[in-house]
Amino acid sequence: MTNSVHDMGGMQGFGVIDREENEPVFHAEWQRKTFGMMMTSLGPFQVNLDHVRSRMESVPPSTYLELGYYDKWLLTLEELAIDKNVISKEDLAALMAGQDVSLTRDTDPFPAEGMLAFLATGATAARQIETPAAFKVGDTVKAKNLNPKGHTRLPRYVRGHMGLVIADAGGQIYPDTNATFSGEGPERLYTVQFHATELWGNDANPKDTVCVDLWEPYLEAAS
Amino acid sequence: MPHDSHDHTDPPSDLALRVKALETALTRKGYVDPEAIDAVVDTFETKVGPRNGAAVVAKAWTDPAFKQRLLDDASAACAELGFSGQQGEQLKAVENTDAVHNMVVCTLCSCYPWPVLGLPPSWYKSHAYRSRAVIEPRAVLQEFGVDIPEDKEVRVWDSTAELRYLVLPARPDGTDDLSEDALAELVSRDSMIGTGVAQA
Repeated sequence: MTNSVHDMGGMQGFGVIDREENEPVFHAEWQRKTFGMMMTSLGPFQVNLDHVRSRMESVPPSTYLELGYYDKWLLTLEELAIDKNVISKEDLAALMAGQDVSLTRDTDPFPAEGMLAFLATGATAARQIETPAAFKVGDTVKAKNLNPKGHTRLPRYVRGHMGLVIADAGGQIYPDTNATFSGEGPERLYTVQFHATELWGNDANPKDTVCVDLWEPYLEAAS
Repeated sequence: MPHDSHDHTDPPSDLALRVKALETALTRKGYVDPEAIDAVVDTFETKVGPRNGAAVVAKAWTDPAFKQRLLDDASAACAELGFSGQQGEQLKAVENTDAVHNMVVCTLCSCYPWPVLGLPPSWYKSHAYRSRAVIEPRAVLQEFGVDIPEDKEVRVWDSTAELRYLVLPARPDGTDDLSEDALAELVSRDSMIGTGVAQA
């Protein structure tokens, strides 16, 4: 989903930023478990982060706004478990009701030590690409006015606006295709710096800028 | 009240029930190992957090060669101190100077440099921060008690890709005599997100 409420940059009306002193990492046991399950199950589910983001932002806008942060993670995990035929909706409901259901083991989980090693190593999204760069540092570019129905990481607030290329991060997995398992389709990623006045008009401070990481297909030469 | 404050309330029991049911299902089907869940959670509760980033900043303040390596390739520099991994594979350090104040947000979700800052605080994930940081950064900074002069640039970094940003705050004046460990104590989490400054 692209033009939905998850794309929040520049929205107004959410009020003051609510902060908590000495905030714990998690506020409840269910949040700890939800985080841990997400981290450990993406491999066995054979899904990537772009797909998970795409799912989370595809909940209806009103639901997205109402649900808390880890509530969305939990909902996504439940949907994945059902979609991947790990468990049926009925069996999940039965378990919630305290009934026992027959569940046969069909794979082996990532063990704790392997999970910790993966956590400490990570997996880069950088990819070698042969295509020559369309833009270079110092170029003025324009973010295209794109409104795809699928997943994208091109925020609405930069579309149609001009900015300066300040960095070339090389080839990177392209989320728009990776989210739907249509391939990593690596594209070159640029950091583009926009003047606040270009994005928000003349009431913005003329000194201020916003830097956004944008893939080459999101950009065109400024004419 | 905004609707994004659920993290602060006691969970309705159905959330706990749903998580228990899902964990049972995923465990018995072989998708997750409860020990692995605990190990991952424990990592972020006790091992990985903003003290890591503070150590990086303090070293950058005292070791010019390290600072240069940090600005050139933050992932490699942080790995020298043992900080690496998921959500930190492509770290970028952005330096606060007399001319520029940097501030980091993820407007589309809640991307954050885990190996150096741990998991993000609730406010970083809030709808208010995600929406406002790019359109009115100075008003946001004022809420956090940070006043940036009108003639100094506020540069906001929106983490839309897999690059993760760490703000290198300015070293406070009058700290020449402090050790690296003592300097690290001055580096708050917020100063490395850019919603705060390091203070002596």
